[in-house]
Amino acid sequence: MSTADRAAPHGVIHDIGFRHYTGQRLGRRWARRSLLIETLRGAYGLGRPAKSRIMAWLLLGLYVAPALIVVTVAITTKADHLALSYTNYSVALSLLTTLFVAGRAPYAVSRDLRDGVIPLYLSRPLSRLDYVAAKFIGLWLAVTLFLAAPITVLLIGSLLAKMRIGDAVTGWLGGMLMVAILAAVLTGIGLALASFTKRRGLGVAAIVTSLVMAMGISPLVTSVVNTQVSVEAGTYGALIDPYRLVDGLAAGWLGVDPSDAMMAPVNGAGTTVFTLAMLAVVGACLAVLTARFKKVGRV
Amino acid sequence: MNAVVMRLALQAVVGRRRVWLLVALVAVLLVVAFLTRWGSGGREESTAAMMVNFGIGTLVPVMCLLIGTGVIAPEIEDGSVVYVLAKPLRRGAIAASKLVVAQLVALVFTVGAVVLATEVAGDADGQLAAAFAVTTALASLTYTTVFFAVAILSKSPTISGLLYALVWEGSLAGYVPGVRDLSVRQWALAPAERMLEDVYTVNVHSDVSITMGALLMVATMVVALVLAVRRLARLNVRVAD
Amino acid sequence: MSTLELTSVSRWFGNVVAVNDVTMTIGPGVTGLLGPNGAGKSTLLAMMSGFLAPSSGTVTLDGAPVWRNPSIYSQIGIVPEAEALYDAMTAGQFVEANARLHGLPQPREAARAAIDAVDMTFAVDRTVGTFSKGMKQRIKMATALVHSPAVLLLDEPFNGMDPRQRMHLLELLHRLGDEGRTVLFSSHILEEVEDIAGTIEVVVAGRQAASGDFRSIRRLMTQRPHQYAISSSDNRALAAAIIADGTADAVSVSADAVVVQASNFGAFVHALPRLALSHDIELHDVTPADESLESVFTYLVSR
Repeated sequence: MSTADRAAPHGVIHDIGFRHYTGQRLGRRWARRSLLIETLRGAYGLGRPAKSRIMAWLLLGLYVAPALIVVTVAITTKADHLALSYTNYSVALSLLTTLFVAGRAPYAVSRDLRDGVIPLYLSRPLSRLDYVAAKFIGLWLAVTLFLAAPITVLLIGSLLAKMRIGDAVTGWLGGMLMVAILAAVLTGIGLALASFTKRRGLGVAAIVTSLVMAMGISPLVTSVVNTQVSVEAGTYGALIDPYRLVDGLAAGWLGVDPSDAMMAPVNGAGTTVFTLAMLAVVGACLAVLTARFKKVGRV
Repeated sequence: MNAVVMRLALQAVVGRRRVWLLVALVAVLLVVAFLTRWGSGGREESTAAMMVNFGIGTLVPVMCLLIGTGVIAPEIEDGSVVYVLAKPLRRGAIAASKLVVAQLVALVFTVGAVVLATEVAGDADGQLAAAFAVTTALASLTYTTVFFAVAILSKSPTISGLLYALVWEGSLAGYVPGVRDLSVRQWALAPAERMLEDVYTVNVHSDVSITMGALLMVATMVVALVLAVRRLARLNVRVAD
Repeated sequence: MSTLELTSVSRWFGNVVAVNDVTMTIGPGVTGLLGPNGAGKSTLLAMMSGFLAPSSGTVTLDGAPVWRNPSIYSQIGIVPEAEALYDAMTAGQFVEANARLHGLPQPREAARAAIDAVDMTFAVDRTVGTFSKGMKQRIKMATALVHSPAVLLLDEPFNGMDPRQRMHLLELLHRLGDEGRTVLFSSHILEEVEDIAGTIEVVVAGRQAASGDFRSIRRLMTQRPHQYAISSSDNRALAAAIIADGTADAVSVSADAVVVQASNFGAFVHALPRLALSHDIELHDVTPADESLESVFTYLVSR
């Protein structure tokens, strides 16, 4: 600003910079896609400080390690089947998955709520449904990758152990399908619970507590109902626990061995019930999420 | 001890969403107790097994985690703890005030829930309830102190606390021999073992003696409290994340 | 009267030196702590308020150390930058709770007085959670004033205030400074500091760049020639005369003003009236063109 301007009693405004953006605007699909990718990357701590990365990758490492052990054992003993099947693996190591989901779901949602940035998101060409969908799919992809990693290790191991290729690949495909479904259920529950609180710690506690309690109570329900009512009624105890629910679905749809025969559907009707339950849970969680973000702004 | 700090701490724990999670946990315990009764017809052995593994082993530590961290972690996380720290109060007095409130709330919730659940699941003339009440009270005091300290010492107290409560206390301490000696659950069960000696049907066992258990619990609480107060005196208040 | 003394204070976090050998004395009156973002202002304030220990050096209030000395808080009032308050309480309850924590004999009255002082009486029964940012800032001020401290430390206190609230806070700080209290506030907004700070402390990249009254600081900056804008009845003739005289380094003329750069401003200031008189030129306006805090600051920051 030249002092010549200052000394004289008049003012001039020079057009030194502000320009309207006339370039290409990428639109709603791009916005959705970007949010999705950002959620996915955030779940594994990419683009975040080191601490969140350590937790995520540590859990992933711990989760894949048993698969490596199973595979090594199978190769060295020349076994003809794996100690843990493609579908049972998720149930056996469910605690680790629970910790992963419990850690990442609040990251996806609680921070936005606490910082009040939802209005910022929604004032762009991004509708409320887009926001929910992007967060859900982003986290779902993250959890699917998590669950799929050891399953894929099992496949590679089976091939290396020279087990029947056809069985191995179909087993793996079945496992991947169930992994995708389990991821959807867990993501739904995780996000729905996390969206109720601004505090990340409380969200983590709520998710872990709920899932671990569910895991502990469902066999109890099954055994009690089993002896008091009927074996078939007892199998519905699995509906409380997402892991056993999906495991039961695998048994019903794909015909694989369930982790616990007492907790898997015994007939077609049972399979239908399991399927409906799974759809209901995912639907309810999405509905809760969408309703939660209706009240936009400071919660 | 400071009455204002206590009042603020009480509001923080009971007046927020956290309390609904506590209520939900109590409800879950009661549901499990009911199921146990339905399945076993009210036999004490089943009640004892369920209470030791699920009620005292899992539920009580988680509830103490929520309460022990609830009196201080949210304030540290959002920086509002400065309003208590920037006052001419000894850090020990601040910590003690908050901890006392946490202990009282925890006792009410845990002992209340355990006694109620024991009766629902089936008791033997109230002996189980009495024994488990003592156990729960001792465990609750210890856990709450530990989690209170963790809330001050750690950046993510909930996750660390949950890992401890669910993995260490909830699972391993029930089964792995070496771990058992180092778990609060075993220390707190020692008096229960003595109290239930005459109830032949029930097999509640603790790996440590009553004296040993008491010593270990007191030692743990003292260490936790000392560490907590030291850290509180050096806490730099900043807004989280 | 209370004096905060920082003696060779440094603070490092691992390899990063946030504050580098700063020595300053903050006495009664209003002092502005000025510096770009990331210069270490918040770290300095944290050390002065007893929440962070210096890695080396000492911070004392009237000789007593500030670190790990909770009793010092009866004399210090802190307005933190943290946004969060106890949202569920009303303004009155919140300030009163603070008063009680200070152990004041009449907490309710003290709270009421503090709330009046910050002009928040109308909201005393409203829940803090419903307040706007500026209102929360004023309640924070009230909690810092409720125990009538001798020292007041404010971290970016004007953040989020609308012009009317700002003026009110400026008046309040001015009054407190006049009462003899030691008021220190940090800011990166120059206009605020210019208005009320008698003394400024400038911190750049952790080092103390300058301290004192900003006009005096300007005069000390002799490496940079002073600039004057002069309007007179005959600018061209005046410019010619100044050039001929030789006391100025550079002269530029435009239709409206003569702009002069003089490193030896003392000599120039004496020469100017003499020149004007001898050439029969009337001086209308002589303004130092760069004695604003902004130019001082820019200079200090870009050194």
